[in-house]
Amino acid sequence: MGSFKLGKMTFKSLFGKPETIQYPAEQKTPPPGLKGHVVNDVESCILCGICMKRCPCAAIEVDKPARTWSINRFRCVQCGTCVRECPKQCLTMEPTYTPPATEKRMDSYEVPERAKPAKKAASAEERIEWERAAQGLEER
Amino acid sequence: MGKATVIPFGPQHPVLPEPLHLDLVVEDETVIEAVPQIGFIHRGLEKLVETRDYNQFIYVAERICGICAFGHSMGYAETVERLMGVEIPERAEYLRVIWHELSRVHSHVLWMGLAADAFGYESLFMHCWRLRERVLDIFEKTTGGRVIFSVVKVGGVVRDIDDAMFAEIKRVLEGIKDDYRQLCNAFLKDSSVKNRTVGVGYISHEDALAMSMVGPFARASNVNNDARCLGNGGYGKLADFQPVMDAQGDCYARVKVRALEVLQSIDIIEEMIAKIPAGDIAVDVKGAPAAGAEEANVVEQPRGECYYYARGNGSKYLERMRMRTPTSQNLAGMATALAGCDLADVNMIVLTIDPCISCTER
Amino acid sequence: MTLETTFVPLTVEGLPALAAAKKADGWRFVQILAVNTEEGIDLIYSFMKGNLLENCEIKAVQKDAVVPSITDQFLEAFVFENETHDLFGVNIQGIAIDFGGNFYALAQKEPMTIISPEQKAAREKARKVAEAKAAKEKATKAAAANAAYEAGHPTPKEPGEPIVPTGDDDAELKLAGADPEKVARARAAIAAKAKKAAEAEKDAALKEKLAGMDPEKAAKVRAAMEAKAAREAAAAQKEGE
Repeated sequence: MGSFKLGKMTFKSLFGKPETIQYPAEQKTPPPGLKGHVVNDVESCILCGICMKRCPCAAIEVDKPARTWSINRFRCVQCGTCVRECPKQCLTMEPTYTPPATEKRMDSYEVPERAKPAKKAASAEERIEWERAAQGLEER
Repeated sequence: MGKATVIPFGPQHPVLPEPLHLDLVVEDETVIEAVPQIGFIHRGLEKLVETRDYNQFIYVAERICGICAFGHSMGYAETVERLMGVEIPERAEYLRVIWHELSRVHSHVLWMGLAADAFGYESLFMHCWRLRERVLDIFEKTTGGRVIFSVVKVGGVVRDIDDAMFAEIKRVLEGIKDDYRQLCNAFLKDSSVKNRTVGVGYISHEDALAMSMVGPFARASNVNNDARCLGNGGYGKLADFQPVMDAQGDCYARVKVRALEVLQSIDIIEEMIAKIPAGDIAVDVKGAPAAGAEEANVVEQPRGECYYYARGNGSKYLERMRMRTPTSQNLAGMATALAGCDLADVNMIVLTIDPCISCTER
Repeated sequence: MTLETTFVPLTVEGLPALAAAKKADGWRFVQILAVNTEEGIDLIYSFMKGNLLENCEIKAVQKDAVVPSITDQFLEAFVFENETHDLFGVNIQGIAIDFGGNFYALAQKEPMTIISPEQKAAREKARKVAEAKAAKEKATKAAAANAAYEAGHPTPKEPGEPIVPTGDDDAELKLAGADPEKVARARAAIAAKAKKAAEAEKDAALKEKLAGMDPEKAAKVRAAMEAKAAREAAAAQKEGE
């Protein structure tokens, strides 16, 4: 029996360096693997729509005719499924969080039309992509 | 003897982190009977299994509980793997155990903080949560999330931990151990803690057996219902596993069991890090569970044994997914412990079952 | 020690006796769950002893059926019995702590018995796949019968029903279950595959192959090829612009 068993720790925290930081003024550097927000490298995106299909919370919208790739930042749960499933590895997870906002919004990316090098090569590439997409569909 | 009065306790109460309602029948200052009621935060997560395929549902399973998030995703994945007959790589099993035990450390330390807060020991509460923060930092570095990790998938895990990170985990855990021993000293020897916990909310061994209690709540009454003993997944590879038990059966015993389990979990993590084999971390899972196939599974969560049930219907969507969480099993035991206690001890007893109401209702 | 799970059938009448037997035998109550099926509601009572996890299943409990409570043996079951009553509408009688349908605060009565459109679609898909499988079996049986007939008769009739390559057949099977949009896309992909093969074997060979295929399938492949050609033409046009 006895009291003040926490004495050592209490004195340490009285005179030691504080554990906390002065948040808005001072910010923690996020570790490299942090799941912050999804970024699309539009240069290599082929608008296949696999990310849209795999997303558990329907946050991603791929509009093929309009060539846009959009994500609802406030629906996304940062699970990373789209990043893993992307056949072109054009999606990445950046280690910074979406900043707070007053309303939910969609972030839309314009995917530029890619110049197809030669007819033959393009069709071969396309075929591979289609096969991959078809495989993905068959698995489902 | 005074007249019997019914005092409603909760669903909103300073001591309760989650909405649990108790009707306390009191006579003078003594509680004669307590009737627990839940049902304020039913979210229908089990129903969601119809609209998410079995790969996507893992993210829903994680959100059943914020504290045992990893345990739920692991339990769900194990159940679906058993249902589909998938063998996962050994390294993935070890990684799952490491993360699961880290979750246990952070859950128990969080609970100890809440308990300290409940009996009015504010500085102890803050020191507990300060230590817990370091575990969360490990999670942040290894999985990319602080609370919800999204690191388990059906067929293995998503991320690997490299040797440098293992060394860092070990270093951080050593630091936690040192500080934690001092905290334990305060929890287990300080007279102000003992005054509030010793002899309060006693549950006999027989009652604990009869009420089918689970988790640290049962182990404090010397009932071994620890599902880790079954050796599911990576737990089968532990050299020696003896659950922490106590025969006292009061609030002090429950604090003690949890306090010692943290140290045990740290030992398990260190053993797992020393033994982890190299290799793949996931296998590809193809196809869908057969129609009518059923499987059940139990996993030891920080709060106790959790039961999972899955039934397939031939498509990618499961027909039914069920999780039974430890709190729903312990509610009857809690009502028993409350009968005959002082009104002022109610909050302490309610906290010692570590209620998690949102898990219970899902 | 490893976990062993068993599933045992049970009837509503046998439930009280089972609960009493389990209690006397020192089993631990684990949980009750309900599954909403087309035939009724399945109830599963789980008990555990050591490493044995026994799940006793009562199949297809009807809406008006009365299920006795097991709270006289296992008091802790009151949580699950109230839950099953509130969420699934199973009429459980004699619960020790009965909330009379007020255990859960719900906006809707018996929410777990509502069949969502997704579940309906999944069930229909499963049924379609099963039907397609049955049809395939039937076809193979018919082919076998046909072969037997041909073997038994010296002058066989016109060579009909050719053997369909199994790989393609599987794809078709899957198509039967998928939704129309997916079907269209997957079909286009298959057409692309088919065209690749055709290029290698030259058109004539393909035509021969198509002629050899059963008419329905040939039509499908042709349609898909046309779609692909149209798509390519459109792409070329776009490029031209």
